[in-house]
Amino acid sequence: MKILSMSTATNNLSVALNDGAKIITEKNEFDQRNHSGHLDPLIDEILKENDLSLAEIDRFAVAIGPGSYTGLRIGVTTVKMFASILHKDVAGISTLQALAASCAEKDTLIVAGIDARNDNYFAGAYVNKEDDLGPECVIPDGHYHIDTLLSAVAEYCANNNLENVIYVGTGFEKQKEAIKKTNIPFSFGTEKQNVVHGGLIGKLTLNAQPDDPDQLLPNYLRRTQAEIDWHKKTGEAYKPDSNYVEEV
Amino acid sequence: MVHKKDIRILAFESSCDETSTSVVKNGREVESLIVATQIKSHQRFGGVVPEVASRHHIEVITQITKEALSEAKVTWNDIDAIAVTYGPGLVGALLIGVSAAKAASMATGIPLIGVDHIMGHIMAAQLKEEITYPALALQVSGGHTEIVLLKDPTHFEIVGDTRDDAAGEAYDKIGRVLGVNYPAGKTIDEWAHQGKDTFDFPRAMIKEEDYDFSFSGLKSAFINTYHHAEQINQKLNKYDLAASFQAAVIDVLATKTIRAIKQYQPQTFIMGGGVAANHGLRDRMNQEIKNLPQNMRLKVILPELKLCGDNAAMIGAAAYNLYQEGKFADLTLDADASLELPYASEMLQ
Ligand SMILES: [Zn+2]
Repeated sequence: MKILSMSTATNNLSVALNDGAKIITEKNEFDQRNHSGHLDPLIDEILKENDLSLAEIDRFAVAIGPGSYTGLRIGVTTVKMFASILHKDVAGISTLQALAASCAEKDTLIVAGIDARNDNYFAGAYVNKEDDLGPECVIPDGHYHIDTLLSAVAEYCANNNLENVIYVGTGFEKQKEAIKKTNIPFSFGTEKQNVVHGGLIGKLTLNAQPDDPDQLLPNYLRRTQAEIDWHKKTGEAYKPDSNYVEEV
Repeated sequence: MVHKKDIRILAFESSCDETSTSVVKNGREVESLIVATQIKSHQRFGGVVPEVASRHHIEVITQITKEALSEAKVTWNDIDAIAVTYGPGLVGALLIGVSAAKAASMATGIPLIGVDHIMGHIMAAQLKEEITYPALALQVSGGHTEIVLLKDPTHFEIVGDTRDDAAGEAYDKIGRVLGVNYPAGKTIDEWAHQGKDTFDFPRAMIKEEDYDFSFSGLKSAFINTYHHAEQINQKLNKYDLAASFQAAVIDVLATKTIRAIKQYQPQTFIMGGGVAANHGLRDRMNQEIKNLPQNMRLKVILPELKLCGDNAAMIGAAAYNLYQEGKFADLTLDADASLELPYASEMLQ
């Protein structure tokens, strides 16, 4: 099964071609701030090098979030359109699960996170099981203050007799002192592990349920500030987004 | 007669708070038009919130693409080009259309055309009637107030521009003061027809030789008048307020546009943009053009009301002209939030 997968969730633009679990090619553009101008040419390059057309791809996969809101939408829109037009499978994979998948350690809690500034993180925690199905989520992906995240980590480790933690992703090194206070041996991901890899997203889709291209949306993990302010001011409940958009 | 193949374009528009797709035949015929509006969402905040707009665009993009094709009773095989607005507008919002159009182009192998949103607004006229060139357009919306000279179907030059607020933006701001829901233009237009110009608000830059505009002074004069009356517990007639505001806006727009028509002597006059749906402005421009001397009479094209606001049909119309000249985009096409038509050379001196 040929899988084309991509991540535009962070500054690393990553596109990969997998044949099942095997990564055939992965191309990365580190510190890329213009995903819009570069994503399609990178996809095109990979297809040409492998003498494939988009129509020969069986499944499209994308990092669905968390991450840069604008970045996420570029990748998600692209795979939605591919899958919708070519009638192929599409799967959205957690950006944090993809980060965690770069760590092979067992009996270790893998904390994957993206710096959301002011000591806040889009983060989740994962563990590798024996079955090689990819890391399993044990602390749900969310928007956490570092203190909240670290107490959840400490609690999980205590309850599950885990004595090792890996922090992978961005912005964790500056929390070294706070992390030390958890009194659990820890390490940080390597440079290579700290970026999101398209090839790992492709691998993770093998066990993911395909999504309906029309329903596939970024997982922002946060409402917009405007909505939060409106909710506070009016006390009105959030309605489904579809209530606010109408065809005229 | 030589058989000329029909050219069908599927167009995307997502520059602000409308997600739209359309199939346009030969740049003239709207075979389908889907517009998903987010107005209800942004009314919660009193104006368009860019991040909210982008989130809504991606929710509907694949569905409305399929709908545009099925409503036009065509398939991808019948499409000759895929067009998309790439600027100006909200960058996050533009990126949904641009990403979708590029992905569609990659998936189908159909060539891609990037369209300037303002060129699109002006080309809504082409969907009503054939344009004879050179033409002159008054482009008025929430984001722009420009007088544009059309040398031919793809070469446009700005001869006049607003120095501060756009006319539509001024409508929304005074609408907020009067407690009118965003977007306020339609209601203010209706109220204006029931009132009289009694406040005599300033007509900024009306006497100046150039074709530029300024609406922030008018907006401030309006707000000061309103708040002053409030402080002394005086209730002003909202219909007269609306009529006075609208008269000031239309006076300046009409005076400067007529002066530009006299200078450039175009074959066609066009109005475009959301404010082109304003009845006061449409009536006034029709009247002014009727009053022109016999030798200056020209064709007037006021687009259909439903094509004045943002829609993908106008993008398909403009894209057809670019298609004829082989002006295609490639996969590096990116959103350009501050894209601008070129200024006429005499304005650069
Ligand atoms: Zn517009």
